[in-house]
Amino acid sequence: MQILEIEDLNSGYGKVDVLLDITFSMKAGQCFGIVGPNGVGKSTLLQTIAGAIKPKSGSIKLLGNEISGRNPEDIVRSGLALVPEGRQIFGGLTVMENLQLGLTGRADKKTSHQAIEHVAELFPVITTHSKQQAGLLSGGQQQQLAIARALITDPKVLLLDEPSLGLAPNIINNLFSNLKRILEAGTTLLIVEQRANLVTKFADEILILREGLIQDRLNKIDAQDENKLKKAYFGLGANE
Amino acid sequence: MFAKSWVKGLTRFSFTEIFIPLIIVAGSSLWLSGRSTSLLLFIKFTLCYLMMVLSLQVFVGNSGVLSFGHGSFAMVGAFVSGLATAPLVIKQHAMSLSNLWQPLVDFKLNLGMSLLASAIAGGVFAALTGGFLMRLNGLAAGIATFALLGITYNILFNNNHIGPSNQALPGVSQFSSLTLPLVLVLLAMVLVYFYNLSRLGRTLRATREDNMASRGLGINIVRVRWMSFMFSGLLAGLAGAMYAHVGGAVQVQDYYLGFTFFTLAMLIVGGSASLWGAVLGTIVVSGVSQILLMWEQSTPVLGVTIHLPIGTRAIVIAGMLVVILLWRPNGISNGNEFKLPNFLSKIKVS
Amino acid sequence: MIQTILNALSLGGTYALASLGLGLVFGVMRLVNFAYSELITIAAYTLVMTNQLPIMVSFLFSVVVTSLAAVLMELLIYRRLRGAAPAIMLVASFGLSKLLQQVYELCFGALPRSASIAPWMSGELKFAGVSITNASLITAILTIVLLLAMRYLLNKTSFGIQLKAASADFRTARLLGVRANHLISLAFVMSGVLAAFVGAILVVGNPQVEPMFGMNMTILALVGIVIGGISSLPGSALGGFIVGVILSLLNTWLGNGRVYSYSWLFAAVFIILLVRPGGLLSKGQEMERV
Ligand SMILES: Nc1ncnc2c1ncn2[C@@H]1O[C@H](COP(=O)(O)OP(=O)(O)O)[C@@H](O)[C@H]1O
Ligand SMILES: [Mg+2]
Repeated sequence: MQILEIEDLNSGYGKVDVLLDITFSMKAGQCFGIVGPNGVGKSTLLQTIAGAIKPKSGSIKLLGNEISGRNPEDIVRSGLALVPEGRQIFGGLTVMENLQLGLTGRADKKTSHQAIEHVAELFPVITTHSKQQAGLLSGGQQQQLAIARALITDPKVLLLDEPSLGLAPNIINNLFSNLKRILEAGTTLLIVEQRANLVTKFADEILILREGLIQDRLNKIDAQDENKLKKAYFGLGANE
Repeated sequence: MFAKSWVKGLTRFSFTEIFIPLIIVAGSSLWLSGRSTSLLLFIKFTLCYLMMVLSLQVFVGNSGVLSFGHGSFAMVGAFVSGLATAPLVIKQHAMSLSNLWQPLVDFKLNLGMSLLASAIAGGVFAALTGGFLMRLNGLAAGIATFALLGITYNILFNNNHIGPSNQALPGVSQFSSLTLPLVLVLLAMVLVYFYNLSRLGRTLRATREDNMASRGLGINIVRVRWMSFMFSGLLAGLAGAMYAHVGGAVQVQDYYLGFTFFTLAMLIVGGSASLWGAVLGTIVVSGVSQILLMWEQSTPVLGVTIHLPIGTRAIVIAGMLVVILLWRPNGISNGNEFKLPNFLSKIKVS
Repeated sequence: MIQTILNALSLGGTYALASLGLGLVFGVMRLVNFAYSELITIAAYTLVMTNQLPIMVSFLFSVVVTSLAAVLMELLIYRRLRGAAPAIMLVASFGLSKLLQQVYELCFGALPRSASIAPWMSGELKFAGVSITNASLITAILTIVLLLAMRYLLNKTSFGIQLKAASADFRTARLLGVRANHLISLAFVMSGVLAAFVGAILVVGNPQVEPMFGMNMTILALVGIVIGGISSLPGSALGGFIVGVILSLLNTWLGNGRVYSYSWLFAAVFIILLVRPGGLLSKGQEMERV
């Protein structure tokens, strides 16, 4: 069953078109990676799907329902959450308050208590530092909090924008093993990553974004092949 | 280098952009003022407002920084000009002036010199305060200019050593005809137009588009803003003085919140980005205001009389400002200079 | 002496409430609402016009009217200006403020409307040799209770957390499900409720209500939030409090020079803005971003 379907999506800022014509779809429980050079519009794509940027045209369907043009606060309630680039946690609020914000985006309020316990299993920082100001956490802890906060909204589809940014290698490994567990629990993942090798290991497909279009799609096996990946990334296509 | 930049500015000069607004202002002033004495007075006051709106356009329009503080330059200009031209008898005997500082009692200039002195006073005051204000951005700047207005008003309202405090200073010499105020305004329009075209004006507008980028280009934003703030203060001082010479009296309340609101409304309604916007806004707001005033007094306008309750005028002006901000945030002129309607410019070509 | 301190504290508290009312709205939409002044004024008019009702009924009525006015203001004007340049919103609120003043003038006349509201308030209370007026005691207690209530609301309720989050970063807050329209409307309601309290406190002290009744308070509360830090709610309240206390002390100490206390306050604003453009409690140059 298709959980997320994007068709002919065009988006950008003011008169500038950043994304020209994006089409792809995902099945429930899949994980896709999006790679592409800096500034091609990966963040723009995720923000558009999550409703923070209004698309100029095209369609975005979540579980068969059209969500393009809707408010971000409604989209998160219908089951799609974004962990934004740079984490964007609220530094002035405590860890627990950050999580409580996530609860506002939860359709089912009754189970919120279990939800907090559930994400706390994945991310122990939530219980160990619950009263601490979030701004005082380390980078890795902040990333954990940002993901936990999004998970608390009970998403069926989770978008992550460069989760590894600014983190040390061992922390990144830990992060991705957590993401793997989230995926195994049935959440659909769409991950933007500069470091392609991080996602190739467990993504079902890698989309390569360039010049406002998805220039190439690699399946799991091809993506593991560094040469094929590089060729696709730099646009050295079939005629090379 | 100055010459070069001047020429560069002139390359974008368009005859109609400046000439038509000049003709409109001069023509309508002369035509209307001949019709009745009350209209003559209205035209004189409108010219003062136009001077003030031009002053605001120079700074607010080009820098994009909102100023609530220009009323203080007008106050200072009015006080200088008023004290310089009020007769000695009044200065010595008016109750409100019994504590006036002696050098101010002796201070005496003729009308022309007093206008010059008030322009200089406005410019100097702007230069002094601009050194602080121009370092601020956005909202902080807006609020700081408000504080400036508050301080100037508070001091002038309460201190009877430097002026009539909260009383009116009567006996200020009045313009004997329309000529002087009209010529001053037309001159100011030409100056403002060329200022907007000049390298300084264009640089300032560049800083408005993008603060960071212009800093990167090595533009000293504080200095560029400061220069235009001074020029603008000069015009505001002159506007304040003209207002005193039209009314024949100076009272500090005349230049406070109501004045600030009325002139900002003119600028925003017309469109702050161009000379034409300033002119158009002043004409439209004053025109509407005058028509409503006449209807409030049950006087016919072009044969039409509508009886309006007193106070309608101010409501309509404030409402106009809000509606324009909602529907056309760049004002009626949409930020453009005057352009002939399409069919007219075609006729000229053929 | 006790009276002086109590006056300073209650005036400080009143300004803190007013600054908080302005700060709440600024937080969620980066709008400096000059028309807050007209909310205070309508609260005061309502109290005066419904003077024949029992005081509590009359006050409740004024809270309802004022918060309704605040919500309408948002719905009809500010909602359409969301995301516009701060300068545009500033001018719009200035215009709206003037507009409402004129409407009041048309409805209630330019001359003050007055009524004796709760005459027992001006009575005096004596104990241990000091006497204080009922009004200043009640004001002091009321503001302390209100400030504590606001503190509770902001720190302990979901609404408060959402409000703080939205003030820091509205975009991210929405991504987590914070409903923009609800939150902004609620912020306006609260701002209106605070204005009603401020209006009531003012009208007890000075029952002469005219169209510009709330103006001074609003301008000084604005000074307060600038001093305290415009994007921090505790900062707004603190700044307002400081302004009130300083003003009250200046009025006592300056003697005849007290007419210039506004100038001193405004001068303080200049200096603080120059040294810390974001206010005393700000962490960085948040004004630049605005
Ligand atoms: N708020 C914005 N306003 C205007 N242009 C923007 C904005 N954010 C990003 N852009 C531009 O859109 C393009 C894509 O940006 P982004 O989506 O952040 O790229 P990526 O995440 O792939 O690095 C870039 O050229 C960037 O300059
Ligand atoms: Mg990005």
